[in-house]
Amino acid sequence: MKLFEYQAKQIFAETGIPVPAGKVIENVDELAGALEVSGLPCVLKSQVLRGGRGKAGLIQFAKTAEEARQKTQQLFDSPHGVYKILVEQALDIKKELYLAITVDPMSGKALIMGSAEGGVEIEHLAVSAPEKIIRQKVDITQGILPYQLRNMMFGLGLSGESFKQGMKCLESLFQAFCRKDAELAEINPLVLTGDGQMIAADGKFSIDDNASFRQEGLKRTRAHFDSDLEFEAAEAGFPYLKFNGDIGLMCAGAGLTNTVYDLIADYGGTVANYLEFGGPNYRRAVEAMQFTLRGNPKVILIVTFGTIARADVMAQGLAEAIEKLKPKVPIITAIRGTNEEEAAVILRKIGLNPLCNTEEAVQAAIALCK
Amino acid sequence: MSIFIDAKTCVLVQGITGSEGAFWTKHMKDLGTAVVAGVTPGKNGQSVEGIRVYDTVKQAVIETGAEASVLFVPPRFARDAIFEALDAGIRKVVVTADGIPVHDAMEIRAAALALDAKVIGGNTTGVITPGVAMMGFLPYWIDRVYKPGRVGVMTRSGSLTNEATAMMVAAGYGVSSLIGIGGDAVPLTRFAEMLPLFQADPATDAVLLIGELGGTMEEEVAEALEAGIFTKPLVAFVAGRNAPEGKKMGHAGAIVSGGKGTVKGKAAALRAAGALVADKPSQIGALFETVFPIKK
Repeated sequence: MKLFEYQAKQIFAETGIPVPAGKVIENVDELAGALEVSGLPCVLKSQVLRGGRGKAGLIQFAKTAEEARQKTQQLFDSPHGVYKILVEQALDIKKELYLAITVDPMSGKALIMGSAEGGVEIEHLAVSAPEKIIRQKVDITQGILPYQLRNMMFGLGLSGESFKQGMKCLESLFQAFCRKDAELAEINPLVLTGDGQMIAADGKFSIDDNASFRQEGLKRTRAHFDSDLEFEAAEAGFPYLKFNGDIGLMCAGAGLTNTVYDLIADYGGTVANYLEFGGPNYRRAVEAMQFTLRGNPKVILIVTFGTIARADVMAQGLAEAIEKLKPKVPIITAIRGTNEEEAAVILRKIGLNPLCNTEEAVQAAIALCK
Repeated sequence: MSIFIDAKTCVLVQGITGSEGAFWTKHMKDLGTAVVAGVTPGKNGQSVEGIRVYDTVKQAVIETGAEASVLFVPPRFARDAIFEALDAGIRKVVVTADGIPVHDAMEIRAAALALDAKVIGGNTTGVITPGVAMMGFLPYWIDRVYKPGRVGVMTRSGSLTNEATAMMVAAGYGVSSLIGIGGDAVPLTRFAEMLPLFQADPATDAVLLIGELGGTMEEEVAEALEAGIFTKPLVAFVAGRNAPEGKKMGHAGAIVSGGKGTVKGKAAALRAAGALVADKPSQIGALFETVFPIKK
């Protein structure tokens, strides 16, 4: 789960990485209190998960309290779903570095990356001048060793006091990465200020959902989702994505779902919404169809090929869902796998024409949208 | 012939007394797998499907000579169970658990590499040689997918395996051995590491690779082809050309992958290395026809 910037900075602060003085607010009335912490001039940073906040106007600078008030109101009123704003001191930036820790699947080690040229253009730098990104792999059972810290600091071209601060910063970041089951711990930019301080000006932190049994605070809120519908579906345990197309897709398994997306695009169709019907959800056809119908599809397309998620159970559930919800849109199915013959009998009984081939089903669904 | 396991391989089931463990132990036995022991701590002396249960892997190995282990344990206990198997000398492990923490997977992967052990998974449906033996939970009774034949299958997607393999079987081909390496972000064994097994297997004439967007495993297969590590025909299908943008991992994800990871890039790398790449599952059969025609 991706954390918001303010949550990432809480983790940084807990582990001893300096962060700018600041406070999170949820409405404009709380601004005065936050300004007492941040001082002026300040930065107003919308707490949204999307990238490119600066370009989208979701980060604003203010020199006076009045300017801060006006801009805070504008951010809360924006259509980007801003629920929280981080009010921070404006930094005197001398240099911007990049520091990140992620997972190297090939070696099973943590991969540390750094660059003396941090900031928003770091991805372009990785393509145009990959030698400017320095890397160090670390065995997580061994922990990060002093020479590995030094390698990174020399690579970043640091010396003197900032070398020492950088060592401490990276060591702390590595501890947080391990302690929090992070998939990503990134400081960008890691700022060197005019008076020689090293401060994490912005950060991204993502915690592995699979570690939720030993990590706290992994509860997603409305702010994590683009729409009410996606949030409600997630609360009910259904992975759900909303788009603006025609086909309401109920599919089981990531690989098959991705294939169906490909085929829909190949044959000129569009997706209204996608719902994961596999895993523990295959017995929940009524709820699944309710969510799918709320995406206003022109047709519902159901594609599965399951082992444990039995075809006959899905078909039986589907029959119940149709009887209960009486959907007005046509339904195309390609429900295959364990007990597929029984499934076909059930589906024919309720007047559907069960298909056996994914491509045929996709084409049939697209034809019904025209 | 087969890869990874054959009818003689002595297989241990960790978590055998759970409902999934017991259910699939029966199916593995029915297919012909030599299941010799089960392990569930605290249940020593019990019997599941006629298989003796032990408290520890070490004890099971000493008494039965088990040499491979399939795990039906929950993801949070997978790390412990895998290290117990490795510590008892087992070097072939299949991990079905879906949801192993990434940090656990990193530790396991690093340890398996150091020991030269093959730990397959997590989040895999398993490994099968149709008609011979299986470790995992593959529905081998669906004969339009698991028909014995001469094509090796390597896949990272459970749901897509049935779809893509059925296309190949419909064209008249069959499966020599199938290896699901699992759908996790840190697979404990990678595609390219399985290729030498298919290369060495006289029962395998060609390989079907079922890939997905993300990561670099398909690119590594292309490198193995370029390096001559695998010289038999290879047909690939890679899903996710039009997948909605998934979870982007800060800037680090883009920097690590360095432009790799897209389906377009994977298909280009595989084609450049001499593989045939199907854009749609329905093309898989026809591509096999061009490299490995069926004698009619």
